[in-house]
Amino acid sequence: MNTPSGAEGARRLIVGPFNRVEGDLEVRLEVADGAVRAAFVNSPLFRGFERILEGRDPADALVIAPRICGICSVSQSQAAALALAGLQGIGPTQNGRIATNLLVATENVADHLTHFHLFFMPDFARAAYAGRPWFAEAEARFKAGKGTSARRLMAARATLMHILGLLAGRWPHTLAIQPGGVTRRAEPRDQMRLLATLGAVRAALEAHLYGAPLERVAELAAREELEAWRATGPAGDFRLFLEIAADLGLERIGRAYDRFLSFGAYPGDDGPLYPAGTYAERRPGRLDPAAIAEDHTFARMEDRAVPHHPFAGSTIPDGLDETGYTWCKAPRLAGLPFETGALARQVIDGQPLLRAMVGAGGGSVFARVVARLVETARTLIAMEGWVRALEPNAPWCTPGTHPQAGRAVGLTEAARGALGHWVEIAGGRISRYQIIAPTTWNFSPRDAAGVPGPLEAALVGAAVLPGETTPLSVQHIVRSFDPCMVCTVH
Amino acid sequence: MAGLETFYDVMRRQGITRRSFLKYCSLTAAALGLGPEMVPEIAHAMETKPRLPVLWLHGLECTCCSESFIRSAHPLVKDVVLSMISLDYDDTLMASAGHQAEAILDEVMTKYKGNYILAVEGNPPLNEDGMYCIIGGKPFVDQLKKVAKDAKAIISWGSCASYGCVQAARPNPTRATPVHEVIFDKPIIKVPGCPPIAEVMTGVITYMLTFDRIPELDRQGRPKMFYSQRIHDKCYRRPHFDAGQYVEKFDDEGARKGYCLYKVGCKGPTTYNACSTVRWNDGVSFPIQAGHGCIGCSEDGFWDKGSWYARLSDIKGQGFGIEANADQIGLAATAAVGGAVAVHAAVSALKRAQHKGDAQ
Repeated sequence: MNTPSGAEGARRLIVGPFNRVEGDLEVRLEVADGAVRAAFVNSPLFRGFERILEGRDPADALVIAPRICGICSVSQSQAAALALAGLQGIGPTQNGRIATNLLVATENVADHLTHFHLFFMPDFARAAYAGRPWFAEAEARFKAGKGTSARRLMAARATLMHILGLLAGRWPHTLAIQPGGVTRRAEPRDQMRLLATLGAVRAALEAHLYGAPLERVAELAAREELEAWRATGPAGDFRLFLEIAADLGLERIGRAYDRFLSFGAYPGDDGPLYPAGTYAERRPGRLDPAAIAEDHTFARMEDRAVPHHPFAGSTIPDGLDETGYTWCKAPRLAGLPFETGALARQVIDGQPLLRAMVGAGGGSVFARVVARLVETARTLIAMEGWVRALEPNAPWCTPGTHPQAGRAVGLTEAARGALGHWVEIAGGRISRYQIIAPTTWNFSPRDAAGVPGPLEAALVGAAVLPGETTPLSVQHIVRSFDPCMVCTVH
Repeated sequence: MAGLETFYDVMRRQGITRRSFLKYCSLTAAALGLGPEMVPEIAHAMETKPRLPVLWLHGLECTCCSESFIRSAHPLVKDVVLSMISLDYDDTLMASAGHQAEAILDEVMTKYKGNYILAVEGNPPLNEDGMYCIIGGKPFVDQLKKVAKDAKAIISWGSCASYGCVQAARPNPTRATPVHEVIFDKPIIKVPGCPPIAEVMTGVITYMLTFDRIPELDRQGRPKMFYSQRIHDKCYRRPHFDAGQYVEKFDDEGARKGYCLYKVGCKGPTTYNACSTVRWNDGVSFPIQAGHGCIGCSEDGFWDKGSWYARLSDIKGQGFGIEANADQIGLAATAAVGGAVAVHAAVSALKRAQHKGDAQ
């Protein structure tokens, strides 16, 4: 293995396999003076979906592409449907668009809740924290497999998933989302069931996670309000997290480039609920999809000479490549690495609390987790409105036909951030299919200029205590991105 | 120390009450299609049998099987089953991490040699010496062989482990290979589906743990209790098929009336699974109920059989249950309505032509 030569006392740590992340992940760390000096992120799983899609009937992308991931399958399904709709020159019906929003939102909210309760918080129930004042409560609520909050979440999540069952037949790997809308109509009685389901989820979260109405969380606007919440409650998992974060200084770790991007989530009459755009150098900006390119320099992929826009992209694995250290390509926007996810969506949308947090301490572990909890509340409130906006007697799905040749892109937001499918067809068959998933952005390797990906940058400076082989700070930082490794390399 | 621990001990330790335990036994009996007279037998087995550990490995996969599994219908069933297996090794859910997790794997393998169940989600890719799926620095196929060596039996979760699934679709870039083509000397129970239904997964694993034996399997190695009938056999839209009433495109008049989805690609007539009886997400629905055809995800090779949105051209010889293929049934029925017949036949010819193209 080629390790860059290090200073005196530098050592190398390989952290992985990680549990409580979706899929397989390995991180190589160079450690010196009790801190991470450089990090190299390896996505060790490759399947080749882009190659498998080539040569097929375009409609079959609706079945194959979602199977990239059993966790983000609805988002993958929506991205494929949007790309095919672009090819067909159609858009979904009003009902289809709203129902699709409900399906994607259900999956995204479920993912946020799973991340907080089952993946992120159990780290604070580890024996290493036994001396902290909050430990007993953290252990009671979040110890893996036993914590009361974790168990309650599983029940609330199963309830929430009834929305996918009702509107899409099943989850994971739903099939209902089509280019022209959805295959399942909702009748007035279905609307009542959906509202009842959302009501049950709201009640569960307000009782235990937040200890307060969703609206109060959604409207959080200043860091002082968070301070007050930590100091005086209401009691709940959220307050406990605020206490832990303050004690451990989660606001000071895991900062990457503070450069964010979103493809825009949940389209509506007046644009998406969370708009597309960028936020960098503390300024909002427009998203230019033409400026996206993937660099293969440190990916074990051929075509390394220059970065490619996805419409010119390729996925040809090169197992003999010695420079590459991952299967993950390095997507860049205008040549720069960008972070994506709930924090990016909220900051780009101008949510005042998250803007203030990023302004003060940057995109930290703390900010990423708060962003998910705020977004969960905001999205659930929006979902209740969408259910009421469905019109059972209006059309649900517009028919369309694929042209013999053409190309189109489907851009959306999965729970973990920006997801794009770039499709090209020739002779009525798929001739190119390129996918950039959220964690492809976040966990990308270095590019030709040697610039590390967002996680690689976020890990620099993380504390490594004497004797630690899987440093806790590294685990918190990695999990704060809520990586989905099966999407990353597909 | 835990060598003689029974399932019942484990459940009590997890805080499950006696009352809940008995309820669980009834639910299990019902899920397995056993009569109420079996409830005491299940209870007795759980109280006296030492707990069998389950090691759950992930290869090349998308985690959809785990996702399906952890939302089994009844919270109690899920709690109990999770308490039976998650104590051991599952890298998505377990508490420990990294080398600590690997150590647990080794410990269980040694302590329960020849006496643990290996559950596999995903499959090993064999190209490039297995480097497309590296677990803990080694190819997954090595880990699979190592853990399989001393297992009592293997459960192949989902279509990846059972058959290959979409990652093995043409051109199968990584040579993703089902478990039974890598492991030859152990009983393998296939539980196909992409993903399998949660209740089917918990049903199979509960049966094996409770009765300490493998459920009766069909020729392909699937448990008969869940895979002996076609989706079509128990589909609630079946009367519309028999009457020749079809959805022609999504959201048309036929779709609004709940007609048969055969013409928009439904593979229900050739797919063996329990979707139309057990259903999904707590029995709420299943794909056909959501207006989309079955894609046949529990059948071997479903990924390379031509488009999912083109209808089956010939389902004769699949033991259809009626002495004709679907075209003839459709023809006979639609003839009474008139007009639609020519279109129906033309579509069928087109489909056959396409199929030839696909097969090259």
